[in-house]
Amino acid sequence: MKTTGLLLIVVCALSLSVSTQESNDGSAAAAIRALEHEWVVARSHHDNRALDLIFDDSLVYVEYGELVSKGDYLSRIKLAGPQLSQIVMEPMTVRMFGRTAIVIGSYRERDVKDGRPRLRHWRFIDTWAYKNSGWALVAAGAAPLSNTQN
Amino acid sequence: MRSLTLILLLACAGTPLGYAQGASDPDAAAKIVAMEHIWSQSYVLKDPKALGRILDDAFVNVESDGRVITKADVLAEVRTSAALQVLTESMAVHLHGDTAILTGVILIKGVERGKPFVQRARFVDTWLCKNGQWVTIAGLVTPVGD
Repeated sequence: MKTTGLLLIVVCALSLSVSTQESNDGSAAAAIRALEHEWVVARSHHDNRALDLIFDDSLVYVEYGELVSKGDYLSRIKLAGPQLSQIVMEPMTVRMFGRTAIVIGSYRERDVKDGRPRLRHWRFIDTWAYKNSGWALVAAGAAPLSNTQN
Repeated sequence: MRSLTLILLLACAGTPLGYAQGASDPDAAAKIVAMEHIWSQSYVLKDPKALGRILDDAFVNVESDGRVITKADVLAEVRTSAALQVLTESMAVHLHGDTAILTGVILIKGVERGKPFVQRARFVDTWLCKNGQWVTIAGLVTPVGD
């Protein structure tokens, strides 16, 4: 009887663990999607305070093939002025791995180069890590989508 | 005693299943760099066996042309690789508990359809300590500079 009771507790705890995990994954994925959008909004408003909260201090960001630190990124946003490119996000997928999440998606970037408007299409991949009491962006990068992928 | 068991079981319920704490591994960075070397050499050896253990089953990579490829795609790529030499430069590891970010530059020299080629690309890989083993779950390869 004691063994059956213990077995039931173990089974209940394990199923609770799995369902809690699934529910946590769902809410975590939603939180990460919201943060991805918040990043784009903060960038367009040159809101470095918001970006500072979203980015981990040791963020590694690959932009146009160059490695950019959090400090470099924030300085560029601060100095960019109104000519900063516009970003339009497209659908994204969030994959949960416990306290780590991978986001894959695409976006269109509109800017002006040499006085002419330019539209580019990018595939991005971001890594988020759960630290202290929230999700922080620890790595991000994008590759240009070739015409066949547009 | 029964109450203690129940409390312990319930306390464990909130812990993500199967994800070990990599933060306690003092050799994590060295292990990850070593596995990146195994990964790059698998292209020269055209041998995906060791790489199969390094890449998580859910692995995805964003290629320099924006394509998203899976573990199966990478293993197939290795089997038909045209690389004769693969070198890695400027590797750096950033640890975040059971997650690690590795950045670096890869130089690939080879011959394809009789023509020699050289490719240089920047990469960012995400590693995860899963069940006590470091595996890579995602990557990005993009041309260096603009």
